[in-house]
Amino acid sequence: MAQDFPLIKFEHVSKIYQTGEIAVRALDDVSFTIHRGEFVAIIGQSGSGKTTLLDILGCLNRPTEGEYQLNGQSIQTLSDHALTTIRNQQIGFIFQTFQLLPRKTALENVQLPLLYAGLSRVDQRERALELLTRVGLDNRTHHYTNQLSGGQQQRVAIARALANKPDIVLADEPTGNLDSQSGQDILTMFHQLHAQGQTIIMITHDQDIASQAQRRISVADGKIVSDDQVMTSHPLMV
Amino acid sequence: MVLGSIILDSFKNLSANLLRSALTMLGVIIGVASVISMIAIVEGGQIWLVSSIERLGTNLLFVWTKSLTIEEQRMFQGRSTGLNYDDYQAIRQKFPQITVVPRLELDLQIKAGDRHFSGEVTGTSPEYSKARNFRAAQGRFLLKEDIDEWKRIAVLGKEIAERLFGSESAIGKEVHIGNQRLTVVGVMQPKGIIYGSNYDEMIFVPITTALRRFQGTDKLRSMLIHVPQRETMDRVMEQLHAFLIQRHDGVDDIRVRNQGDFLNAVDRTIWTFRIVLGGIAIVALVVGGIGIMNIMLVTVTERTREIGLRKAIGARRQDILLQFLIESVTLSVVGGLIGVFVGIGVAYGFGDFVAQAMPGGGDWGAVIRPSAIVIAFSFAMVVGVFFGLYPAIKASKLDPAEALRYQ
Repeated sequence: MAQDFPLIKFEHVSKIYQTGEIAVRALDDVSFTIHRGEFVAIIGQSGSGKTTLLDILGCLNRPTEGEYQLNGQSIQTLSDHALTTIRNQQIGFIFQTFQLLPRKTALENVQLPLLYAGLSRVDQRERALELLTRVGLDNRTHHYTNQLSGGQQQRVAIARALANKPDIVLADEPTGNLDSQSGQDILTMFHQLHAQGQTIIMITHDQDIASQAQRRISVADGKIVSDDQVMTSHPLMV
Repeated sequence: MVLGSIILDSFKNLSANLLRSALTMLGVIIGVASVISMIAIVEGGQIWLVSSIERLGTNLLFVWTKSLTIEEQRMFQGRSTGLNYDDYQAIRQKFPQITVVPRLELDLQIKAGDRHFSGEVTGTSPEYSKARNFRAAQGRFLLKEDIDEWKRIAVLGKEIAERLFGSESAIGKEVHIGNQRLTVVGVMQPKGIIYGSNYDEMIFVPITTALRRFQGTDKLRSMLIHVPQRETMDRVMEQLHAFLIQRHDGVDDIRVRNQGDFLNAVDRTIWTFRIVLGGIAIVALVVGGIGIMNIMLVTVTERTREIGLRKAIGARRQDILLQFLIESVTLSVVGGLIGVFVGIGVAYGFGDFVAQAMPGGGDWGAVIRPSAIVIAFSFAMVVGVFFGLYPAIKASKLDPAEALRYQ
């Protein structure tokens, strides 16, 4: 049963960075909604404002103007502490550079959000093992991150993103540091997740990558320039 | 967040940069080791000094000429020249109940046969032997007629006798002291080293011989006085002081002290040492703390992206704060532990060194009290927290979005 409010609702959101005398409008009066289960690509060149959009979507930053509602909750008035909890529970981040902690095993990396969520050690381990199995790394759990290939590292990052069953998976150029085969593997995994009902927002500058998503939002100069629903997406979706 | 996993993490991170961690800890190690060894050495020194003073005998008074300021010298010029031989004789007449021992130490050339060296000669009176409980083992000590007639005789300490005459008996032999020829009449029993003085290296001559044949004036350096009744000590001190001032034409140029005064002086000196050495040690510890802060700031900068990531996936401000604070405390605690052992080693090493290098230092052992270890170790922990706090706060306040993209 779908709730009657969208998962994400941006209403006239602007983000202004004050650098000395000059005010930069990184986001300029952006409004859109994203519903549960959507696979959205946000496309834009560097400097388009897509990173700022990602930061606000991921509750890493607050809008200067306008309103961002996540799950019906207005986030701009929340404390840092409350935003941290939202990031931990509702958002799963995937980064271009994987952002795995060195000197830690794949398992420990996946355990990290669970640790901050306050799970017991046994529960952390059990859940992390389950997630690593899901991304096909059950035979790499005790490998250190520097012993894994790029594709494997990104799969560890996906397992970490999914740890607390987030409402949104927020991926920032997830294939940017991967060869095309590994990149395609990651996108296939996204399609699988999407098929299971996971909401995914993927930020990219690459039209080909973006075309794999169900919906494409193009950003330029801090504004949304187009918002296309691609009806026929990946074969897996048909 | 589970504390155990943070502590484990901090050990992992510190051992990943082993050399850097070790160098950082060095400051704390030196600080803690110096606190512990300084306290132990001063503590041992106090015990050594106090026991040395107590071993001098009981119910003793010391009288000596005090040094005058230039102003006082000008003011009292011509009125008094300090303690002299007449004072000694006057005290003996005025206070028949007490034993007075005059003393004058002179550095002179000593020669017998082909052996010669410079040494200290003590001019004194027969009472010395009784007051110090120090007797002749062969021959005799000084007698009254030796004093009366300024006799050219000497009584040698055991080691001096052996150095001058080897295994032969020294009695009746001649020894050149200064420009005088003296006959050895006695060799003292062995006594060893007390309060830094080696009694076995002493040479005793009649006080009058020392004054008139060697020094050429009647000025005495000091007197040792034994008061038979302890209760009368304070009164005797006062009367003696007043009597001497009167004899010195109203000039107060002498000091009268008892052992208690010396013990108090030692106590004050020891406290001074404690404060000065303790202060130096604490400065070392603080410098160690600054080293920790410095390296923690570097660590925070190096791990900015890690901090950003941790915050992005759910680390609260206090989680990050605790993580870095525990890392700095781990540095200081591990450094502190090593420092405790190094400090104990240094203290005992010092004890051994003093025993060998310093005459009479044999019983100056370092005294390590558990309280000193606890104090040094807790101070190291406090340093770790204090100097770790700023970098940890800095880390916890990082903006997650900026930190994530830090290059």
